[in-house]
Amino acid sequence: MKAFVTKLVDLTQKNAETIAKQWAKDVKTNARTYTYHDSSEDKIILQAKDFYRNFQMMFFHEAPFEQAEEIFEKYAEERYREGIPLHEAVYALILMRRHMWLYAEFQSMFNTEVEHRQAVESLSRTILMFDYIMYVIARKYWKIMKLEWLAKKNTQ
Amino acid sequence: MQAYAAKLIDLIESKAENISKQWAKDVMTHSRTPSYHSLPKDMVIEQGINFYRLFRQMSLAEIPYEEAKTFSWKYAQEFYSEKIPLHEALYALILMRRNLWLYAEFQGTFFTALEKQQAVESLNRTILMFDYVSYQVTEKYQELAIGDVEKKLGAIKTLMMKGHIGGKKSVYKAGLISIFLLGACILTYYNHATLKTEGLFTHLFYIPIILASIWWGKKGIFVAIFLGALILTGHALFLKEMPISGDVVRAIMFVVIGGVVGWLMEGIKKVEELY
Repeated sequence: MKAFVTKLVDLTQKNAETIAKQWAKDVKTNARTYTYHDSSEDKIILQAKDFYRNFQMMFFHEAPFEQAEEIFEKYAEERYREGIPLHEAVYALILMRRHMWLYAEFQSMFNTEVEHRQAVESLSRTILMFDYIMYVIARKYWKIMKLEWLAKKNTQ
Repeated sequence: MQAYAAKLIDLIESKAENISKQWAKDVMTHSRTPSYHSLPKDMVIEQGINFYRLFRQMSLAEIPYEEAKTFSWKYAQEFYSEKIPLHEALYALILMRRNLWLYAEFQGTFFTALEKQQAVESLNRTILMFDYVSYQVTEKYQELAIGDVEKKLGAIKTLMMKGHIGGKKSVYKAGLISIFLLGACILTYYNHATLKTEGLFTHLFYIPIILASIWWGKKGIFVAIFLGALILTGHALFLKEMPISGDVVRAIMFVVIGGVVGWLMEGIKKVEELY
């Protein structure tokens, strides 16, 4: 059972560089991730590779939500400091997930009947992990925005 | 509309209310959506029904992304006005998707091998829709937050002359302050030299002092210093027989008020830059 679920993540990890490059190409041209357009390609590829590595760690962790809090709060803070608006950071994440899936489809990873079942399991677990990440990132962004607002208010 | 997604769409359409009720129960007790716990249940259920109906509308639409906007904006506006934090609003959306999928699984919608294949397609379709809505809700939330700050700063902005005067604003500001200062010199001379009184006219000096501090922040204090010096000089030259203590207090108050307003305005400018 576990082997089925991890198929997508294992493939992503083995091909992190290729998937990260495809994602970077997409995010640098997508109309919904405008702020990424001027970013250095190497920098964002590295960002995606780190993300996929951390994602795998979280995926196999016993307490994935707690792990997401530990890893992706830092990720959110970094994106915030880079001036990426939250909706673009969220969409960049969506594209990361989409590229994982696109790559797997392109590799014809889930073709047979059994593999379709595996695909559903794999996809469900991956989506759950991304849900946690999205929540953690949005929460961190909101918190930083609130803190900055209070800090500015105190300087008035 | 793709055939593979039709099954799920039909299920959602016919059971929108049931799924919404399940979602409402979930979101109103979930630990990651505490702000929903005290909302009126009917309002929450209605949002759920609106969302589940959107699924068919989006499937029929030529540009599903555009179709999703009506729902997303309404959802963001309603929950923003209820002071629901963005991450909770997003998590509530996630729970919507999860409840929909759980319902489909519970009903045994995708059981056979062919249906499993359809399940993958349907899952992808559902995810795409949620991706659009999540993006749009996040964008709208930020827009609303910025709008709120703008609104709160609106009156100050008017005073700051940030309107249509535009590029020439600094010339107008300097011109207006010069006129006020000239008027202050005339008033001081008239009251001190002619009427031989300290008078109440100095209260009018707060107008240029406050305006200068609003426009130029801490630098505006120079106007207060100038006016303070003006009344002290006028007193020393024309009201030698009267005690100067009253005018000293007035001069100090000019500088204090100018300084405090300037300091506050610099804080507001920083908030403006932030948003």
